Amino acid sequence: MITLDPAILNRVMKPARYTGNEWNSIKKDHSTVAVTVALALPDVYEVGMSNLGLKILYQILNNRMDTAAERVYAPWVDMEAEMRSHQIPLYTLESLKPVKEFDIVGFSLQYEMSYSNVLNMLDLAGIPLLTAKRTQSDPIIVGGGPCTFNAEPAADFFDCFVLGEGEEIMEDMAEVVAEWKQSDKIGGRQGLLKKLAQITGMYVPSLYDVTYHADGTIAQVAPNCSEAKSIVTKRVVKDLNAVEFATRPVLPYLDIVHDRIMLELFRGCTRGCRFCQAGVLYRPVRERTPENLIKIAKEMVASTGYSEISLTSLSSADYSCLPDVVQSLIDELKEQGVSISLPSLRIDSFSVELAQKLQQVRKSGLTFAPEAGTQRLRDVINKGVTEKNLEDSVRAAFEAGWSTVKLYFMMGLPTETDEDVLGIAKLAYRVLEIYKEVKGRRGAKVTVSVSCFVPKPHTPFQWFGQDMAAEFERKQRLLRDQIRDRSITFNWHDARTSFLEGAFARGDRRLGQVLLAAWKNGARFDGWSEHFKYNTWIEAFATEGIDPHFYATRERSDQEVLPWDHLSSGATKEFLVREYQHAVKEELTADCRRNQCSACGVCPELDVQVIDWGKQV
Amino acid sequence: MGKLRLEITKGEEIRYISHLDYASAIERTIIRAKLPAAYSEGFNPHMKISFASALAVGVTSQAEYMDIEFKEEVELTDAVKRIMATLPPGISLKRAKYMIGNTPALMAIVNLATYNVIVPLMGDAEATEESIRKFNEVSEVLYTRQTPKGRKEIEIKQYMAEPIVIDVQEQEKVAHLAIDIKITPNGSIKPGEILAALVANFDLPVDRERALIHRTGLYVVENDTKVKPIDL
Repeated sequence: MITLDPAILNRVMKPARYTGNEWNSIKKDHSTVAVTVALALPDVYEVGMSNLGLKILYQILNNRMDTAAERVYAPWVDMEAEMRSHQIPLYTLESLKPVKEFDIVGFSLQYEMSYSNVLNMLDLAGIPLLTAKRTQSDPIIVGGGPCTFNAEPAADFFDCFVLGEGEEIMEDMAEVVAEWKQSDKIGGRQGLLKKLAQITGMYVPSLYDVTYHADGTIAQVAPNCSEAKSIVTKRVVKDLNAVEFATRPVLPYLDIVHDRIMLELFRGCTRGCRFCQAGVLYRPVRERTPENLIKIAKEMVASTGYSEISLTSLSSADYSCLPDVVQSLIDELKEQGVSISLPSLRIDSFSVELAQKLQQVRKSGLTFAPEAGTQRLRDVINKGVTEKNLEDSVRAAFEAGWSTVKLYFMMGLPTETDEDVLGIAKLAYRVLEIYKEVKGRRGAKVTVSVSCFVPKPHTPFQWFGQDMAAEFERKQRLLRDQIRDRSITFNWHDARTSFLEGAFARGDRRLGQVLLAAWKNGARFDGWSEHFKYNTWIEAFATEGIDPHFYATRERSDQEVLPWDHLSSGATKEFLVREYQHAVKEELTADCRRNQCSACGVCPELDVQVIDWGKQV
Repeated sequence: MGKLRLEITKGEEIRYISHLDYASAIERTIIRAKLPAAYSEGFNPHMKISFASALAVGVTSQAEYMDIEFKEEVELTDAVKRIMATLPPGISLKRAKYMIGNTPALMAIVNLATYNVIVPLMGDAEATEESIRKFNEVSEVLYTRQTPKGRKEIEIKQYMAEPIVIDVQEQEKVAHLAIDIKITPNGSIKPGEILAALVANFDLPVDRERALIHRTGLYVVENDTKVKPIDL
């Protein structure tokens, strides 16, 4: 157990990040369990504690008598400096034991720009960074979360990756590791990795060899032993009602990013927006029953004391029984001062009515995501929203008393022209006009946030060459010059961060060396603009003789072997190619949830079904 | 409807949480306990709880006081039982009492805070005691408070309720300081600030950064009698 010097805790910012003892945290005596798991998120406490997936795994693993699961997050730079100068190893918040003493360390990989923090945390823990250098006494390092569908750039540092949903596979993993330990670690570390490779959805990168063509593209990714499958397909929970939810989440003392109950209505979204990776990775849609949701919500209020419930899902307003569930939640929990919120709104009047019901008094801003500035481009990305939808919902919002609207867009989408970019400004001005039509005076406030499109693996745009940073910056200037009204606030993303994210999102194993070099030169917290060091990364690419444009901005052929072709979300490559072709032709694809099946392949491949309670009534 | 007054602690487990964090931990405890707390009216309703005095990050306490208003009557033993069942680690409930009639706010009446500070010794007992003796003797000690808003010069001695009592434990190489501080309508001083002044102006030979500060009590002092808010 680590003892923390009061002098250190008195010096660092927000020391409660490092001292644990939160309500609902679970402390077990490690001598009474067969397996210990450190659940990590490579970002600061407030971000890590907000991750729903880890909350669920914490509860599921701790429900097992033979398993102890604890939490660890990236120390902020001030604490890191203290830990390094006082030789304090990375430790977990429950037992204050060094992470190095755990059997399994699981990292949740939510975004590519957190990879440098993984390396930093391993180093702080005193665990060899490279899987090849680890010994029998080191923990097994496993990665989970959306990035694992192409975590090839981080493959050298991970012993294995979990593809898909973790509820069942993490228990499988705990069992395999427990058995291996009881058998006196038979077959050594290699033996264990080969056993793990046999679990459905588990990918052990060291059991695959990658060969390359002379032009740098991949020739082949092939298993180097019989235990490794040639294609690893994701795990999926068939019925969410049958698995445990995070009903007793650890309650932080300090304010975290999502400091409220997160009630997951359903998993998956089949609206089929062509830029969206989550829309492919989490297929198919599986809803929880209304009864189950009400039960879970009541349990969670009782176990946490939170007074706000956020209805989270990829597109919460699509939940089939939403009005009923919202009404029941309000009825049952109003007495306890509990309020309900919806994080994402669909662009239609239904959503505005609902938002009105939820926020009867508070009129905070409404957020809509048209994603693109013109109808043509919205059709390209299959965002099934028309100009009229947007006008109607904005009008409804203004009539209901709102005056602040946030609009989210992307730039750099396939086939985009300057006219599409300028369409963003036009839409923003149209919103101001609508307010004037409704109220007869000016007074609306519009925030336009434009991010730089990063093509992601397993999406119809996975072959698309990302815009160059200079092109993004030109488009940002173009748009900025058009927005002159002071009622409109224009926010844009840093093009260079998006460029690096683009390289790592679709990168291959050769980027592992770049990652290592950049981390050695001080890269960490790259998702935080105050810590992002672009030049460090560019130098790392140069030192390793690797061109980031090869991964980010190069248009790929659909014949090319992609670094993630051996990793399957269940959706077929034919489906993705077909969707890209529809995109270029500006053709829409319907939502398979309530309309025709678009033959993505997920349901037959994984033997699962869409579960939509609206359909079954 | 009377207010329920509680005497609670802030233990070692949660030494490093802020006063706001502490307050919201209590609020969540009340919700978990399913007690019928009253809420303020208005756009952003909040639970009607109030504290006697904020406690800084890094400071523990054996006697914090808070009042809570209920919408309906709850039997005292029942309320206590329900709160005890759901208090987080580091907070324990020592006493509870309904305050009858029109009770003034805790914040308005509590005017004395007592502390015990344990700090590692870096010099000998004599020098340590001498430093404290000098501090107790002088009539004025100036301290510059640095806040994000700027610097402010404060005279410390006006807030000293009693001379500092020092107990040097040479074997353990620590000093125990008993510090009694006045809380006035025009402000107060923190024990950590007094310690800083002792080191800077009176050469107190201690490792200030490793000081463990503990609040031993909050009181209402009137006509030379010292009463705990829960005994009013």
